[in-house]
Amino acid sequence: MNKLGKKNNWTAYLYILPLMIFSFALIYYCIICTIGTSFTDWNGMSKEMNFVGLKNYTKMVHDKTFWTAVVNNIIFFFGTVFVQAAVGFLLAVLLKNRLPGSNIFKAIYFMPIAMATSIITAIFKIIMDPTNGTLNAFLRAAGLKIFAVSWLGDQRFALLSVIIVNIFQWMGFSMIIYYASLMSLPDDVYEAAKIDGAGFWKTTLSVTLPMLKGTTNVLVILGIVGSLKTFDIVKLLTGGGPGRSSTVMNTYLYEKAFKDFNAGGAASIGVAILIIAVIMSFLQIRFGKED
Amino acid sequence: MKKNRWKMAVPSYGIFTLCALIWLLPIFTAFVKSFQINGLGNYKYVLTYEKISYFRVVFNSMLIAVSSAVIVTIITTLAAFAFSKMKFSGGKVLYGAVLACLAVPVAAVTSPLFATIKNFGLLDKHLGVIVPLVAFNAPMMLLMIKNYFDTIPDELLESARIDGANSFRIWYEFMIPLSIPIIANVLVLTFIYSWNDYLVPLLVMRSEENYTVTLAAQYFVSSTYQSPADVARIYAVMMLLTFPSIIVYLFSQKFLVGGITSGSVKG
Repeated sequence: MNKLGKKNNWTAYLYILPLMIFSFALIYYCIICTIGTSFTDWNGMSKEMNFVGLKNYTKMVHDKTFWTAVVNNIIFFFGTVFVQAAVGFLLAVLLKNRLPGSNIFKAIYFMPIAMATSIITAIFKIIMDPTNGTLNAFLRAAGLKIFAVSWLGDQRFALLSVIIVNIFQWMGFSMIIYYASLMSLPDDVYEAAKIDGAGFWKTTLSVTLPMLKGTTNVLVILGIVGSLKTFDIVKLLTGGGPGRSSTVMNTYLYEKAFKDFNAGGAASIGVAILIIAVIMSFLQIRFGKED
Repeated sequence: MKKNRWKMAVPSYGIFTLCALIWLLPIFTAFVKSFQINGLGNYKYVLTYEKISYFRVVFNSMLIAVSSAVIVTIITTLAAFAFSKMKFSGGKVLYGAVLACLAVPVAAVTSPLFATIKNFGLLDKHLGVIVPLVAFNAPMMLLMIKNYFDTIPDELLESARIDGANSFRIWYEFMIPLSIPIIANVLVLTFIYSWNDYLVPLLVMRSEENYTVTLAAQYFVSSTYQSPADVARIYAVMMLLTFPSIIVYLFSQKFLVGGITSGSVKG
């Protein structure tokens, strides 16, 4: 069945042309430039650019900060995706019953996504202030003084704080995705699973959750892509610090490019990120085909 | 059936309320504290602040976000039409290549991006922010629209074609009207993503009069000690800056929730 008649429809090229110019050309040009720059010693500004082979890469592989950043990205991924998915899933299952007021609750959980990260981080920076911030004031009042730490100023907690703020911002997204999938399940399948009188948790965990395996897959993939893209929230909340405790690959790259004027080194990190993204995509395509 | 729904009512509402309290707390705190000490004076301070005009900042963000949303919608509906309903050599490969861009973070390609913007003379110009935003948001929107177009039966197109319509007329009079929900969704989502973007304006905009909401927010936050009066003012700034996007969000509730999912859910 030929969709629009002709076998090789050349007008199609006209239709995709604007997109190709705007998106494809710009992004691939940037990718190619990044790859090329990674083999030079360019500083990002001057006309001078010398080929240095793999020097940037060898430096990167021996750079302790680079590996700290990679590890932080991984910790960030596991800390955010699974908590967001778990809470989102639970809420979605409960919301599926469409009790009165559900729409208001849904809107509340999703609202942070509509707010700019720039603003959310600004608000949390104040809330998380160790002496005057609302969070610690609340913890102290609740008798949990030991938890009233320096959320953003202590190396041990900075990354955790970033993860917490991210969960705050994005949990609603996981919830909505699960909710939509749940709503698209045929009702009789869903109800039949509940018939044998099994309790809420048993049904949810051993029946509902497996039914949504595809959705969970999608969220994991989006989570991987999302964590590789993490930049705003780290830069704005902690700047990558204190020290290197919350530095991620993108913030380290940005620093190398615009603070150290080492565009070559920054580019090699960029290439590393792209390679990881490609590998992750291949893995997903191979293992995600089950549904 | 009804009994089933209500069996879980008490624990459900309990969990809903607990989560709602946690999720509302930050914004609520900011809202309440923005009136501390000087009350509405905090707001007046922000609105009359000399170096940065609130209205100019909102205008900048609005211009950028609306333009990006409209441009993305147009180019992706055109392209999705071709990818979904036409056969042409290289079609699958090109589609895959565009989707691959989904994994590219703007942050990873900042240097070449900055250099390109500079070379085209678009530094400190709205267009310099719009073009990258369009470029990086388009792939995801393309995915969503193409998936939606795929669900429109080809047979419907056949009958239009037999009636003699050329492809552009089919696109304009047929595909678009049938896809209003997803188009509305793409418009709103792109608007929100563009409005919220921080890195691209950070790279491109140089002068205060071109600051976007996201840049302005950072301008007022500093790492030196802030008195409670300063803090109250900062909260007022945040409330004012986030107000437009919350309005857009609440207003577009219908379009948003349904649409995000149609492109990404397969299971």
